[in-house]
Amino acid sequence: MLMSLVIAALAFLLLQTILVAVLSALRPTANIYITIVVVSLVTAPIAFVADRTLLGQALGGDGRLFLAMIHLAVGGFLFHFMTLPDRSVTLRILVELLIAPGQTLSTDALTRRYSVRTMIMSRLDQLSAARFIEIAGDQRIGLTRKGLWFGWFVTGGRKLFGIASAN
Amino acid sequence: MIRLLLPLAGVVAFFLLSLATVRLARSEQPRRFFLAYAAALLVATSAVYVQVWPLDSLDDSAGLLSCLLLQALLCLTMWNSFYSLLWGFSGGLMHDLYNEAPLRHVDLLIRSYEGDAGLDRILARRLPNLAAGGYIDARDGILRLRWKGRVIALGTLVAFKTFSLGMGGGIK
Repeated sequence: MLMSLVIAALAFLLLQTILVAVLSALRPTANIYITIVVVSLVTAPIAFVADRTLLGQALGGDGRLFLAMIHLAVGGFLFHFMTLPDRSVTLRILVELLIAPGQTLSTDALTRRYSVRTMIMSRLDQLSAARFIEIAGDQRIGLTRKGLWFGWFVTGGRKLFGIASAN
Repeated sequence: MIRLLLPLAGVVAFFLLSLATVRLARSEQPRRFFLAYAAALLVATSAVYVQVWPLDSLDDSAGLLSCLLLQALLCLTMWNSFYSLLWGFSGGLMHDLYNEAPLRHVDLLIRSYEGDAGLDRILARRLPNLAAGGYIDARDGILRLRWKGRVIALGTLVAFKTFSLGMGGGIK
């Protein structure tokens, strides 16, 4: 019984992955995380009624809800997975090395390809687009109410977990 | 649906154990403890579940799998919050902007990351870790990809193409 459910979970993951890949190809500038959440929520009713197709027998009301929960949970895993290639500086460094001639770079060459200025400007643009900060014409940065909350959260979290320095 | 309280209890236990490990044990590699706790708590949740709700029907099995996946997802969310938000780049920027008012200017903020000489703060933290983990060779300022790093980089490149992520790394 559990094996058929595991196969169903994998089918849900495959469905969502394909849909997210197709939608991302159609709208490459769209926010990939919003795409994942929308795909997961919109396709959840499919999971709710897919018991006979995927499991070969009908589930009760609770069983169908559990199947929809499984579907949403695998969407959550896809969301977390996406943060790795999309956000990770470490993975980007490895890819820069992979595509470099001889898969070798000097630190200076790496810095030219993927500079700290580029990284910070991109992050600031994203934080600004998400309304955590506002960048004025004279390049001064202001924290919005949302940004103050995020700053407080990170500061409090670092204190709680005893993180002295990071980045 | 009351069964879903089990993963909630599991993730609360995960948080408390993780916090105690970081605060009291001050481990150099807390992720190993986090992984062990997550796995042990999944086993514990399974044991409690089958005691209370024996797997007599497919509905019960679906309940067990959804509890386990939900608990694993919540633990992963907490793990990601720890490493990606508290330790991550954007979280770090917001931490600096929140706590150091003089850095609330684009050029001054960038200068604080560039440092005076040598590697910037971003690479200075990551390159030694990549070398220590066996992903790259780093000698005399030359970085060379090793097979372990090559596998990860190839997988990442496939993800870039599959999900139209450009070159990733937080660059849009």
